[in-house]
Amino acid sequence: MSTPVNRDQIKRMLKARKSRMKRYLSHCMHCGVCAESCFLYMKNDKDPQYLPSYKVLNSLGKLYKKGGRVDRAFLLKIKPIVWKNCVLCRRCYCPVGVDVPAMIAFARSICRSQGVYPEETQSWL
Amino acid sequence: MIVGERKPLEEIAKMMQAYRKVLNIGCGGCTSMCLAGGQKEVSQLNRDLENHFQDQGGDIRIHELTIERQCNAEFFADLDEIIANYDAVLSMACGAGVQFVADRYPHKPVFPSLNTTFVGIDRDVGWYEENCRTCGDCVLGDTAGICPVTRCAKSLFNGPCGGTRADGTCEVDPDTPCAWYEIHKRLKGQDRLDLIMKVRPAREWVNQTRRSVIQEPYKERYTK
Amino acid sequence: MMAQFVLFIKGPMVWIAFGVFFGGLVVQAWRFISVTRKKDPDYLPGAPKKKKNKKKKTKKTLGKAVAKPKRKGIMERLQPLIRFADKSYDNLENSMFFTHPVVAVVSVIFHVFLFVTPIFLLAHNELFRKAFGFSLPGLSDRTTDMLTIIFLMCGAFFLFRRIFTKRVRAITTLYDYLVLLVTLTPFITGFLAFRQWGDYQTVMIVHIVSGELMLIFIPFSKLGHMIYFFLYRLLIGSEYSFGQGKRAW
Repeated sequence: MSTPVNRDQIKRMLKARKSRMKRYLSHCMHCGVCAESCFLYMKNDKDPQYLPSYKVLNSLGKLYKKGGRVDRAFLLKIKPIVWKNCVLCRRCYCPVGVDVPAMIAFARSICRSQGVYPEETQSWL
Repeated sequence: MIVGERKPLEEIAKMMQAYRKVLNIGCGGCTSMCLAGGQKEVSQLNRDLENHFQDQGGDIRIHELTIERQCNAEFFADLDEIIANYDAVLSMACGAGVQFVADRYPHKPVFPSLNTTFVGIDRDVGWYEENCRTCGDCVLGDTAGICPVTRCAKSLFNGPCGGTRADGTCEVDPDTPCAWYEIHKRLKGQDRLDLIMKVRPAREWVNQTRRSVIQEPYKERYTK
Repeated sequence: MMAQFVLFIKGPMVWIAFGVFFGGLVVQAWRFISVTRKKDPDYLPGAPKKKKNKKKKTKKTLGKAVAKPKRKGIMERLQPLIRFADKSYDNLENSMFFTHPVVAVVSVIFHVFLFVTPIFLLAHNELFRKAFGFSLPGLSDRTTDMLTIIFLMCGAFFLFRRIFTKRVRAITTLYDYLVLLVTLTPFITGFLAFRQWGDYQTVMIVHIVSGELMLIFIPFSKLGHMIYFFLYRLLIGSEYSFGQGKRAW
């Protein structure tokens, strides 16, 4: 699993969705109101790790912040955030209107493009 | 979860052999969970197809893309962008996903690479069992949570057929327990055997026409 | 030098700030429209159409060839209103007014006062009248003073929430404090200036500069949610959307 990631591809992907994703990221007020709409957050003793905005900021947010200059270790780090901590049920509520699931799905796409995804059933659970 | 199984390689190859540039789309939903049509299986199928066509001497380029779900337009953004580059599409989603892809790109030939087998449960990793035929008229409350439509070979509604074997298995398949025998056993254990005497009239097989569900709060939005 | 600076921030800078503010909002709205498109109705396949309402037959009563249309009772007349209220309540039930009643109420007060206080402030309107020859109705000084105090209390609530609520702290960055500071400073300084607390001249300069900075920041920062709150609702296809989310990226 030490094959280097294709940074150019990541950068291309990030750029292609920039106008939408960057807007969303920059308009997330970090208010934390999305919390209760996430059943995983409620189920896991209100652990902030499961906060929808936390998941977005620490996956896609970081990808944009680093401008795509990331390594495989980074992608492996966000893999549990976007797969294990989120099931993409699309029920998150954002008072500003930020589309959280679209961002998680996009973070997943970027991971997938580099061959980072849950390969066995167990790695979802 | 919807369970699928990959079609035989020859069948898939035959469907798509007339096309030069094909995109194989994986689904990150159910078929990914049942290890039939996720990203890993997409890569595997593409390798198999490439080998197959190399042997046959065909000139086909097959690319791959896995989207999170093929049954929801929200997740089609990646696909929308590149679909124009391909002559045909191979989908590793369930039948619903394949149709959704075909509806979305009516000008592209879309081929299924899975057989959608059933709605079922994970008995264990890689072991799935059918539990629901989505008949649309659930009787599980009367049958101790065992579906006679799915688990009885004859989908009998009002008790066993009389062909139950001595060991409680089905006369059609000795490996399958008789659903009505199981129902009787469980109802008896719960002291609810009176339910087995209940006569269920012939049901309306509504799944003869396409069904759709619109939830109450959305009625006003989607109906005019 | 100082006098020149004061003259600048009191004069041209105000126009620049408002120019950037309104221009920025228009640009942002235009950019949003240009990067989104109308959703293809085919993307909502297979939604069944409701059967056409059959026209109600007017009931024939004995002895009359044509019955008078029955006069609607008061409850019948109120039906649409009740349905609307019912639906609004259902929508509200799924909104943050039920999950976060305190945050929701404080947010609403905060945002309403954020606009009402400066726009209807008597002193601001006096300046407005000097510039344009007419002015908006002003609220009394006492009222705006109260509004300011409540507004600042709401701001303090957000600040404390940021510091002490675990989940909010987990996603808070320095930027969030900066945004809060930019929003609160004009109100704090305005509050001080009204009471003539501190050095009036300095307070006034900070008041004016921070106000102008806020206006300039709004379209291009997190504060852009002022306009994007409405724009994003053109995209969202759920209970709290406008226009049923008929646009897409």
